[in-house]
Amino acid sequence: MAEFIIAHMYPDLMNLYGDRGNLLCLRKRLQWYGYQSYINEISFASKPDYHNVDMIFMGGGSDREVKLIYQDLISKGADLKKAMEDGIPMLFIDSAYQLLGQAYMDADENLIDGLGFFKFSTLRAKNRLTGNIILNSTITGKECTVVGFENHYGCTYFQDDNLQPFGRVLKGFGNNGEDGYEGLIYKNLIGTYLHGPLLPKNPEIADFFIKAMAERRGITVKSGLDDSIEHFAHNQVKDKILARS
Amino acid sequence: MNRIRLMLAILAGKTFIIISRLLGNQGSSFPGKIARRIYPAVLMELAAQVKGKIIVITGTNGKTTTSNMVARIINESNATLIHNQSGANMIPGITTAFIEKSGLTGRKKFEYALLETDEAHVPLLLKELNPSLLLITNFFSDQLDRFGELDNIIKKIKAAVNNREIDLLLNADDPLTAHFHDLTSLRRYYFGFTATSYDSYDSQESREGRYCIICGQKLEYQRYHYAGLGKFNCPECGNHNPELNFTGHNLVMASHIELMVDNIKITSPYQGFDNAYNIIAAVATARILGINEQDIQKGIADYQPQAGRMETFYINGRPAVLILVKNPTGLNQSLNTVIQDISLKNLFFALNDNQGDGRDISWIWDADIEVIEEEQHRIKQVVCSGWRSGDMALRVKYAGYPVERIAIKSNLKEAIEHITSLESEVVYLFSTYSALFKCRKILERMSDVRDRKPEAESMRSEG
Ligand SMILES: [Zn+2]
Repeated sequence: MAEFIIAHMYPDLMNLYGDRGNLLCLRKRLQWYGYQSYINEISFASKPDYHNVDMIFMGGGSDREVKLIYQDLISKGADLKKAMEDGIPMLFIDSAYQLLGQAYMDADENLIDGLGFFKFSTLRAKNRLTGNIILNSTITGKECTVVGFENHYGCTYFQDDNLQPFGRVLKGFGNNGEDGYEGLIYKNLIGTYLHGPLLPKNPEIADFFIKAMAERRGITVKSGLDDSIEHFAHNQVKDKILARS
Repeated sequence: MNRIRLMLAILAGKTFIIISRLLGNQGSSFPGKIARRIYPAVLMELAAQVKGKIIVITGTNGKTTTSNMVARIINESNATLIHNQSGANMIPGITTAFIEKSGLTGRKKFEYALLETDEAHVPLLLKELNPSLLLITNFFSDQLDRFGELDNIIKKIKAAVNNREIDLLLNADDPLTAHFHDLTSLRRYYFGFTATSYDSYDSQESREGRYCIICGQKLEYQRYHYAGLGKFNCPECGNHNPELNFTGHNLVMASHIELMVDNIKITSPYQGFDNAYNIIAAVATARILGINEQDIQKGIADYQPQAGRMETFYINGRPAVLILVKNPTGLNQSLNTVIQDISLKNLFFALNDNQGDGRDISWIWDADIEVIEEEQHRIKQVVCSGWRSGDMALRVKYAGYPVERIAIKSNLKEAIEHITSLESEVVYLFSTYSALFKCRKILERMSDVRDRKPEAESMRSEG
């Protein structure tokens, strides 16, 4: 039986708003597809070989927590970039997403360097961008809606026209509340402000990662999990958001 | 001139209190809001009626239960008291509470005012009145921690109490109270527990005050009592639990709580470790106020669980227990209490995302719902209800509980009728705030039917 290893970056610190639900979701779905999975917790000092993991996950954290992991993350930057370019599936939520850009602004309005993987920067809004959010995304090959909750001061602006957003905002704020973009997709990496958590209510996105993991190992995932509760929950919140217009 | 404006404000406030009562609203903040518009200093002036002490109670969890317990003890001691209701714990609501008790001229005398308020409102409240004691039950991160907001709030509270004659009563087992270590101008009292037989050495619950707020190092715990509360020390800077002034020991938790606070034996009809903390905080407050042992014991013993705090209804002879949940810590605690009950049971969850519940329901993923899977041989069915019934059902599914035993019924009444009709020895109903009172009404109505039925039938047979 195939075994998949998911690296969880700074599980103690970068774990806000039910982010761990994304891992619970991936692990259960892998199990239901017939595969085993392990979580490889990556924290300070541990120097993991990213090429021996099948996926990398990092959740959001508060300013205080980002400060605690910052130096360590920067020191891991080159390896992470290699893993990303190699097409390892990666999910970065919220402040972890912000860190992928060139710079972000903290609560005291200091501009802090990010990992610089992409040409985007994150400024700070006066008022918090918060609420249920719904997107249209085509990352699975066909158009699908993605639902979640966002809660951020960060206003992320792309400075490179070639960057692809994770989705287009139907209701909510997204990257900055202005240009209609939400998140970012590059190869098998998704960066996004959506928590909620993201994956359980959006099983197509969860399966996007699972298929990408499997493909890299030359495995074809058999199709057909019963996602009726997932779809019910997805549609329940979708109807709620759209009804409020 | 001000005297007249004060009286006008009181009169308007009292009128609106009567109106909102007629409309069925209790503990409303609206009358206070109106009165403040007429005379902004109304609260400041009415606070002068308190000749004894003003006590402010705040904290993330337990402030309502704790302040109700203290109120009960004060009543037991026959002292006069102004006390705000839990639903109205911001400044307008507190103003309402003062207006309600005051005479029309605002010159009555009271021995105590007991004010429950959110952490974020403490600095504002301290601008208008001068408490002699501030009790902080605990600081849990919850959703607030984002952007270091909890840190910010604590800093603001600290600034608001500094250089004032306000005593602090703090939880010694909570690492975040170390924020107050360096305040020299204040008297600080600490309450907490010594070792109990319920302690664990490995906390499954994540992220609660586990980093030293002084130096940022990961704290080491010798033992956890409950969530992030326990015996800790910082390997970097030596930060550790302060000395206790009020010590909880000999804790026994069963269908009720028994413990010693120093040399006073306390018994309470409540359950769970969170309530053990509320009890010790209430006892410590009463001791600081100088209330005698007997009144304290009686006040706590007579204080019964309120709506949604493990309130039991009987439907067809079987208990249905209603539990308010609002954050992962509370839900974990309640689930653990439920799991300790070895009866065959059904569970019900009503999850709403209205303002009063918190719009963001992602906290259910931070709770250890997995205990439901471990207990699945004694949990026959789980019914999920409320505006976000789907999210709750998903959470239960991903906890590993068998999907064929999960039902979704978004309508509260249908859901409760369904769950109570299924076979089991007991039903546990968890509800977020905005669904709680509806659930309660439905349960009350259902238990009434059962109580009246035999009577109605016997009358019919006689007739
Ligand atoms: Zn320290």
